[in-house]
Amino acid sequence: MRQRPLPRLALYLSAVATCAILVFPIYWLVVTALSQPDQLRQLPPSFWPSQPNWGVFGRVLGERPIGLWLINSTLAALGAVAISMAVSILAGYALSRFRVKGGQSLGLFILTAKMLPATLLVIPLFGIFRATGLIGSLWSIILAHATLIVPFTTWMLKGYFDTIPQELEQAAMVDGCSPLGALFRVILPVSTPGLAATALYGFVLSWSDYAYARTFLTNAQGNWTANLGITTMKGEYVSNWADISAASILVALPVLAIYLFLERYLVGGLTAGSDK
Amino acid sequence: MASIAIERVSKSYGATHVLKEFSLDVADGEFIVLVGPSGCGKSTMLKILAGLEAASSGVVRIGERDVTDLAPGDRDIAMVFQNYALYPHLTVAQNMGFGLKMRGAPREEIARRVAAAAQSLGVEHLLDRRPRALSGGQRQRVALGRAIVREPQAFLMDEPLSNLDAKLRVHMRAEIGALHQRLRVTTIYVTHDQTEAMTMANRIVIMKDGEIQQIADPTTMFAQPANLFVAGFIGSPGMNFAPLARDAQGRAALFGAALPDVPQGERALVAGLRPEHIRPGEGAATFTVSPTLVEGLGSEQYVYFDAPDETPRAGASESRRMVARLIDAPPVRVGEPVRLSFDPARVHLFDAASGAAIAR
Ligand SMILES: Nc1ncnc2c1ncn2[C@@H]1O[C@H](COP(=O)(O)OP(=O)(O)O)[C@@H](O)[C@H]1O
Ligand SMILES: [Mg+2]
Repeated sequence: MRQRPLPRLALYLSAVATCAILVFPIYWLVVTALSQPDQLRQLPPSFWPSQPNWGVFGRVLGERPIGLWLINSTLAALGAVAISMAVSILAGYALSRFRVKGGQSLGLFILTAKMLPATLLVIPLFGIFRATGLIGSLWSIILAHATLIVPFTTWMLKGYFDTIPQELEQAAMVDGCSPLGALFRVILPVSTPGLAATALYGFVLSWSDYAYARTFLTNAQGNWTANLGITTMKGEYVSNWADISAASILVALPVLAIYLFLERYLVGGLTAGSDK
Repeated sequence: MASIAIERVSKSYGATHVLKEFSLDVADGEFIVLVGPSGCGKSTMLKILAGLEAASSGVVRIGERDVTDLAPGDRDIAMVFQNYALYPHLTVAQNMGFGLKMRGAPREEIARRVAAAAQSLGVEHLLDRRPRALSGGQRQRVALGRAIVREPQAFLMDEPLSNLDAKLRVHMRAEIGALHQRLRVTTIYVTHDQTEAMTMANRIVIMKDGEIQQIADPTTMFAQPANLFVAGFIGSPGMNFAPLARDAQGRAALFGAALPDVPQGERALVAGLRPEHIRPGEGAATFTVSPTLVEGLGSEQYVYFDAPDETPRAGASESRRMVARLIDAPPVRVGEPVRLSFDPARVHLFDAASGAAIAR
């Protein structure tokens, strides 16, 4: 049966519109970074600066410790992801496989933790970190981000483990593995796509945080993360939007790179072939 | 190789009783088939044997050793799953050698035993592939190979052939049979397919709702079913049933033919007649029916008909449909009356209330 042309056209148009809406802010970020300050307020706006100022990236890198901020963001994200994965692999596996009393309510409890806004936890966490002397240390946001990430990753991994046939670890146990051995020797290697997607998600959650970093790290300039650092570039009276945009692009690049690197794992399909 | 003893094993999930006092003694080297409809508890029993599920009560012994509380890996058994459960991230050789590696066997010994098992199953050319790159039949062989490499005390197989197409299934059935002839490893094989049970088993254990209905070799199971359920389940097609009519003097008759040796009394009885015990043409007890459906298979004909009118019915909804399996008979046509006969001595009797078989 041939598809009728009209709905098809509508489909394409809406797809193009969606893409345009998603891509436009990124495009505008690039335009802003490459424009001279006086070009930004001109009407009508120009859709590509007449003399793109590519030197802005080098200048921003020279004037601001963006490298340090990126390193801090990376350390925080890696730490938070490592803690979150260790916790949520075990928790997600338990939720997926073990039918224990109260297990279901426990799972739902974790799910509701996901719905708490981050700002709700800022005050109690601040109290805890001040009492433990972690304010200003990268560990504060590593732990804070982990509390943010764990509920998400636990449920993502539970969902992924649910798709893996139980017979796989049963076979491993008959072959002589302990339950934990079966998890590490069979289930986790088979789950690489799910683990990669989950870790990336956690990484992005940590990378995009501003509220926690602002609260715990403001007075520790050497530990500023990228997001916190960029906001300090916005002055009280003058803001150099070109510089801020250029810095934002530089900060977005690592996440993009990780995504491209992990893409082949994300596509998945490794479990195909274990059954049927 | 070892004998297996299952003593009064029960299993409940909350209020649902999946297994009720299951007891079975399996001799060393025996091929036992657990058969029954889906959901009757076959897989649960196998998992309890493997140690993958804990029994609610009861004892399991493998070769005189009480293994009830042992981990699966300590029971020295191998299992073949319906979906094969091959490790997708490992090659065929690694899949087959995994159990030996877990037990710390030296690398050369693993390689030697994997090669030998692969050769005996005809998969030696696949050793470097991953499961994803295998056909269904090849995966099946690799799953068998993974079991035999270990040289375990017993094989447990849970519907290992149900994911194969019909032709391959028959082929692998024979191959598993030959494997058992050669290795003589005690095997417990689960299936819902009575044909597999009849063709492969030394003894069949037939189950329903978590209870054993009968334990017998295939011939006995076919000739002397213990109750209505077994009689209907075993055989292809299963046995025909009809409530037994009695005349004024209390003599029993089926389709108008008197049945000798039927116990006197008021007790309601059900007569059972195997489709293959109905013959074309005149015989000891002859009746005429009008076929409603005829399936010709070339070598034989399945003739469906409604039981003759004089047969009483238990209720209005009771099916009167019967089937005869005629071999070497002249062609039968739908709607054309046909004479059929049976030997009254081959009629089985069952108690209508309990379903239990009655000796004649
Ligand atoms: N984990 C479980 N929780 C509750 N009921 C279960 C569980 N596992 C199996 N059952 C029930 O036990 C019964 C027997 O299951 P199973 O042994 O798989 O049957 P079979 O293999 O004979 O088809 C089924 O009714 C099934 O619903
Ligand atoms: Mg089953």
